[in-house]
Amino acid sequence: MDPKPNHTAHPPSPTATERYRTAVRAAWIAAVFCAAVLVFLLANQWNSRDLLDNPELLALKKTLQQNRGNEGLKEQIRTLDQQIRAEMLHRREFSQTGAWILLAGFVVFLWSTKTAFTYREPLPMPQPGKNSYPQFLRTARLARWSVAALLGAALLATGGLLSRYPSNFSYAPVQVSAAEQAEPTAPPAVQPTVQPAVFSMEEFQKNWPCFRGPQGLGISAYANVPTQWNGTTGEGIRWKTEVPLPGNSSAIVWGSRVFVTGATKEKRAVFGFDADTGKILWQFDVVNIPGSPAEMPNIMEDTGYAAPTPVTNGLGVFAIFPNGDVLGCDFEGRQFWARNLGLPDSMYGYASSLAIHKNQLIIQYDQGSVDDGLSELIALDTQNGKDLWRTKRPVSASWTSPVIVEIDGAWQILTVAPPWVIAYHAENGQEIWRAECASGDVAPSPIYANGLVFAIEPYSNLYALRTGGQGDITKTHIAWQAEDGIPDICSPVSNGEFVYLMDTSGLFTCYRTADGTKAWEKELDVYFHSSPSLVQDKLYLLSDEGEMIIAETGKEFKEIARSLLGEKTKCSPAFLDGRIYIRGEKNLYCIGSPKNP
Amino acid sequence: MIRRVTLPTLIICLLLAAVSLAVERFPPPDFEGGHELPLTTVPAPRADLYEYLDAAVLLAALSLGAWLVLKKRSRRGIFLLMLFSLAYFGLWRKGCVCSIGAIQNVALSLFDSHYVPPLTVIAFFLLPLFFTVFFGRIFCAGVCPLGTIQDLFLLRPLKVPLWLEQALGLLGYLYLGTAVLFAATGSAFIICQYDPFVAFFRLSGSLNMLILGICFLVICMFIGRAYCRFLCPYGVLLRFFSRVSKYHASITPDECIQCRLCEEACPFNAIEKPAQPPASQNRRQGKRLLIFLLVLLPVLTLSSGWLTSKASPAFARMHADVRLADRIWQEENGQAEGTTDASDAFRATGQPAAELYQTAQILQQTFYRGSWALGIFLGLVIGLKLIQLAVRRHKTEYQANRMTCVSCGRCFAYCPRERVRRKELETKHTEHGS
Repeated sequence: MDPKPNHTAHPPSPTATERYRTAVRAAWIAAVFCAAVLVFLLANQWNSRDLLDNPELLALKKTLQQNRGNEGLKEQIRTLDQQIRAEMLHRREFSQTGAWILLAGFVVFLWSTKTAFTYREPLPMPQPGKNSYPQFLRTARLARWSVAALLGAALLATGGLLSRYPSNFSYAPVQVSAAEQAEPTAPPAVQPTVQPAVFSMEEFQKNWPCFRGPQGLGISAYANVPTQWNGTTGEGIRWKTEVPLPGNSSAIVWGSRVFVTGATKEKRAVFGFDADTGKILWQFDVVNIPGSPAEMPNIMEDTGYAAPTPVTNGLGVFAIFPNGDVLGCDFEGRQFWARNLGLPDSMYGYASSLAIHKNQLIIQYDQGSVDDGLSELIALDTQNGKDLWRTKRPVSASWTSPVIVEIDGAWQILTVAPPWVIAYHAENGQEIWRAECASGDVAPSPIYANGLVFAIEPYSNLYALRTGGQGDITKTHIAWQAEDGIPDICSPVSNGEFVYLMDTSGLFTCYRTADGTKAWEKELDVYFHSSPSLVQDKLYLLSDEGEMIIAETGKEFKEIARSLLGEKTKCSPAFLDGRIYIRGEKNLYCIGSPKNP
Repeated sequence: MIRRVTLPTLIICLLLAAVSLAVERFPPPDFEGGHELPLTTVPAPRADLYEYLDAAVLLAALSLGAWLVLKKRSRRGIFLLMLFSLAYFGLWRKGCVCSIGAIQNVALSLFDSHYVPPLTVIAFFLLPLFFTVFFGRIFCAGVCPLGTIQDLFLLRPLKVPLWLEQALGLLGYLYLGTAVLFAATGSAFIICQYDPFVAFFRLSGSLNMLILGICFLVICMFIGRAYCRFLCPYGVLLRFFSRVSKYHASITPDECIQCRLCEEACPFNAIEKPAQPPASQNRRQGKRLLIFLLVLLPVLTLSSGWLTSKASPAFARMHADVRLADRIWQEENGQAEGTTDASDAFRATGQPAAELYQTAQILQQTFYRGSWALGIFLGLVIGLKLIQLAVRRHKTEYQANRMTCVSCGRCFAYCPRERVRRKELETKHTEHGS
């Protein structure tokens, strides 16, 4: 409230002077008080700035990534996390209380300052009156100009809006002129050089067309695969070529070509290598794909931007990326087609590899939660990329890859994603059976051996499922299940008699397929992301450090050899005639004798 | 000395308090720990009784305000009423419902037959207008929490030149017009979205809202009630009704003795000085100008309507359906990369795009007509303002401008006749005062 003006005396009365001085003193005290509170608040803000990025917590989390099963470490993280959060809450409470105290001090300061100003206010002393008409004219003229200036500003604003939104949309389809049509927005598409022919299963067996080889089971058709090499000295290395872009996708091979994908947040590409020399023959940059998101989503570093392995049918190579871009190109790197399937909702980044059946490119597009209803099994025409069929999947996001195997004379697609293991007809995508055998974040892909489908429920169970059922077979077709040494990322491999499991920490476990009894287990004391492979009677186990441990299949673990790649890797190797192709962190390796054809 | 420390202290205190009070969130734990999140609870709706109570309190506050301004002539009483209003309508009712925002509800109900505004909202819209017709801007004087908070922060009022005040006063009409356009088309309630003080009333809000509010408060320390005078859309309506108010606050309780003591009393430039009629030569010039402006009025009105209608595509994009239709069309015609959450959600509904386009086109037509109306309104306001500036009315005494005076009562104590009425001075002093 404003005190009333003092009309009774010209000099301020002693009371007014005293009040003024009191108000000034109060203002100073309030200002000092506010400054003190301010210092405490600023100090609190400064000390809170990086609280949630505690280096100790980050280091523990990083350690946990390498040792996911360590419960003690998890408990340690939880305790530290709780402490940090408690401190953060305490600081926030301090900050809020401080803010209220500051506001109270501020109100006192405002009040006393206002009072001081009022007591210093001079008494009204009107000057002699003047003719007000010239002043009126001047004010009116200036006011007109100010209104005109406002009008000018409004005109400028309207002009700005017009330039940005020149007209309403008519929502008519865009008519592309001939000149515009001549400028392609994507690399020119070519028709496949070899028309619809489909290679035989024998041809597929001779090559390594997809993730974990023919049918995706991790089994090599060749026996003459090297067992000794050393990537650091070059011994037994036929060639080694740096891959221009990083990726965790594995190499695939068909004839004289090796294909890999690579990507960063900004760039994506498919590379074609000469299988004999390692020369990069071409690089297909994935750009200008209609509907592709403007920006790649943030993806967990361990997954990377090129986790799905491409696939080939001998006519073309097909690749998919975590932003939903999918494409096909020929063996010379010329595009068949390219499209975007929509950004997949995948917590760690989309990582399912592609599979192929005849002219169908099979995509396990699992995403979101079960309730979201977004997951699908998609078959695209390898010729033109158009949908052949789509089947909705009642599952949440997964990081497994589909496996296409022949069961009882019919080709079936086996999939695993929480909560179902589902088999589909490969010809039309119709569901055959399902079993509720998956939970959590699932990465290991299923396999088929000895008449059983093996599915992994990470950290919990290995399920052996009998085929031949229809509908929900959960209660009727589980042959057996096991709980020891269950992997979290690596897929299993089987020679029919035994099924072998590798967990990330290097625990290698063997079960008999017939009855699910554990044959043996071996602690290898090295970390694994690469899935185990089978070459005739040998198991090839590639560690994260790039060390290949070769062991015999059999009733007990027996190591035969160890060979070094010379760099870290998380990819699964490709086994061909006398050669192994391994993608390292930076380089693609061909292991095999230079004399070997 | 005190001046040097005042402003920086105020700004730092307010900014830091804003940062401390701004909403802060923790990141959720990034691994599963078995903790079950509590179920989301929905608070029960507010009882109807409280809505009627709000309307009753408003009515009582307006009645009390009218009595304090016109009968009691008590600045102290008005000040106490202001504090009560700030506490009740501002802090307790958290600035909602308010008469200023009610404009939008009323506008929407007039143009959308499916929308029926609550009775309380209608009461908040009509009661202050009703009181203004009879008693002037009582609502602004002590009932509006937005006016109160600005008034409390007024520290060292600076005079805004009269000519600048005339132009800035037009911004309120622009705000009112666009707010009605967006509300009537169901696009947005911009008055609520950009309410600069609601974050203070709720003691919470985004940092942007708090900073906007702080900027206004800092301005209001030196420019009295800046929001009320230059932006408030409801103030535009109140000014109009106050102009014809039957009873209005006056500086002097009886006859002006031309002592001129009140000349500088009003921090809001609302005191009009006596004006002599112009000389005959000047009168002729004034007439010519007036005729020119009267001729200009329809031209200005129509050209403003046409020009504003050209901006209708931009206005139309304030509507969510139009924005979505544009986005879907761009995506389907290769003119936009990727998709947005909104376009994905639309596609998930399975609704044909053609239906969305049709809705958007109807909205665009509505906006086109609305923009014409807005332009005509603004052209008319500017034209009439120019005419008003060319007319000089004969005044013989100091009086409060009925449009701009917010009836705050600051000027009462400056008038010696008022002091006599209060028995603080004897009559003989005032008889020689002039």
